Amino acid sequence: MPTLEIEGRTFEVDEDGFLQDPDLWNEEVAKLFAKTEGIQELTDEHWKVVHYLRNYYLEFNIAPMIRKVCKDTGFKLKKIYELFPSGPAKGACKVAGLPKPTGCV
Amino acid sequence: MRAEEISKPAEQLVEIKVEDLPKLPPPYENFEEQPITPLSDDQKSRWEHSLDGVSALNLPRPQNPEEEKALIESFLRGLGKLLTKENNWTFLQPLSLSLEYCAKCQTCADACPAFEMSGRKDIYRPTYRSDVLRKIAKKYLSKNGKILAAFRGHDIDLNWETIARLAELAYRCTLCRRCAQVCPVGVDNGLINHELRKIFSMEMGISALEVHDKGSVKQLQFGSSTGMTKAALHDIIEYLEDDIEEKIGRRISIPINKKGADILLIHNAGEFMAWPENPMAFAILFDAAGINYTIATDLAGYDGVNYGLWYDDVQFARVAIQHLQVAKELGVKKIVIGECGHAHKALSVIADRLLPGAQLIPRESSYTLLWDIVKSGKIKFDPSKNDFPVTLHDPCNIVRLMGVVKPQRDVLKAITAPGRFREMTPHGVTNYCCGGGSGFAIMSSGNFPDWKRLVSGRKKLSQILGAFQGEMDPSVRKMVCAPCSNCKGMIRDMMQSYEVFETTGIWYTGLVELMVNAMVDIEKPFITWPDEEEDM
Repeated sequence: MPTLEIEGRTFEVDEDGFLQDPDLWNEEVAKLFAKTEGIQELTDEHWKVVHYLRNYYLEFNIAPMIRKVCKDTGFKLKKIYELFPSGPAKGACKVAGLPKPTGCV
Repeated sequence: MRAEEISKPAEQLVEIKVEDLPKLPPPYENFEEQPITPLSDDQKSRWEHSLDGVSALNLPRPQNPEEEKALIESFLRGLGKLLTKENNWTFLQPLSLSLEYCAKCQTCADACPAFEMSGRKDIYRPTYRSDVLRKIAKKYLSKNGKILAAFRGHDIDLNWETIARLAELAYRCTLCRRCAQVCPVGVDNGLINHELRKIFSMEMGISALEVHDKGSVKQLQFGSSTGMTKAALHDIIEYLEDDIEEKIGRRISIPINKKGADILLIHNAGEFMAWPENPMAFAILFDAAGINYTIATDLAGYDGVNYGLWYDDVQFARVAIQHLQVAKELGVKKIVIGECGHAHKALSVIADRLLPGAQLIPRESSYTLLWDIVKSGKIKFDPSKNDFPVTLHDPCNIVRLMGVVKPQRDVLKAITAPGRFREMTPHGVTNYCCGGGSGFAIMSSGNFPDWKRLVSGRKKLSQILGAFQGEMDPSVRKMVCAPCSNCKGMIRDMMQSYEVFETTGIWYTGLVELMVNAMVDIEKPFITWPDEEEDM
């Protein structure tokens, strides 16, 4: 199992750098993973997306569809890419501690 | 390269070099291709990569000679089982015939997109892995599949290198079966590759993570390989209804678990997540045509995928039985399969082969039903609403395998402006695979995505570019109709890697989206292009 070391803390991650155990996630972990995405500081706008993804995942066991993220956060897709340069699935979901999406998506 | 060389010690048997690859059509004729990313030292130390430097399976090496011996024996047991009726009644006959009758004429090699687009690397010839298997079987097994006490002739060695390379090689073929189509004696090397995957999964527990652990296992546990639960689907359907209302100005109810409906419509659940316009378009069309149908939200009834099709007969049967059971419980007259090629093959052709007749209920492709809708005249279409160049991708499973060729073309001709539809070359039953068949579209570990980008997806990208030659101005929008979730995923990834929309104005969608886009009763365009984001 690969591990990822960020500022002295070590996390088990999958091959794409997603947190292996979603239960280990908290806001501190989010801040650390954001750094691996090149985001130095999480603003209120970042948190809005992160918390939305996190809550959806806890309720439904999957990431929400991207259109729904845009609609419910009020951010256009372009804005989400500005916030999370590697995009909603690879960037935002990783910071929110969601597993990598599976299936034909 | 001779079959025997697969067992030779070497860091890597072949290397894919970008300079060996066939050139893409304009405007990509001088495109600077990124080579395959070498695995990191850490990955190399953990994963087998001695075939072509690529790891699709992340296969660990045996730790000691005992472990190696056990793996070899297990492989031979698996191969033996493939060759006996009691263990492989499902596919024994086509397998034996294909192993026995190949004349090695190599007609199939020229038909194989992976072989051609790799720069004609011998190991990717459709006959290569078959020849290795044939030689192993002759050397190590008796006629009835028993392991021989004394091995005979043939200088092929069944060592760990051979097994590891065969495992990876089983995942360098998309199972498009173009090879079988051109074989003068009907040998099916695609089937042999499928059977090889069965040895690895069913006997040795070796399979692709995305296809097994995170695929069919997840589907049996949650109902969908996406992990989507019933509650999630209900939330999504409500969202789709809201979205439809915003798009077309009136609310449509998507029927759920409606007992006694005529039709159970099963989508690939990936559509709900990645291409929600597709199930939305189905809902709009079925509502407008007055079709009495339902969506199921019980276990596996809402995800038509069946990844077992690609690698494991038991996983296949487990999922297929659930699909049929959901339909029986709802009391529908038939199942209609949405725009998913593998679901078509799994639920129709292979279910017919593997499951007892009593469990089966009629199943139909959505393509034929969509043409029936157009013919019925219940929906008015204005072809001038689709006034842009359109080409059509033929999903292998629906077109080459099942022979459904004309309905989707008749639909397109009825809903696109005159002269706008053009075929790819070749097309119909002699089409080329999107490059994502047999699980590849969703397999993304290690440097396998690079292999797909350079090799398996290259032929289809060439064909798509070829269909629009002379119209490459990116300000002229052009559309590939790809009525299959898996193909859409692969085409999307290729378009992203090569920045196809930005460079040429070519985009992709499904069939139903184009149909709704042409509906007279719907004012706003249904299709959105990547450079126009809707206000949400």
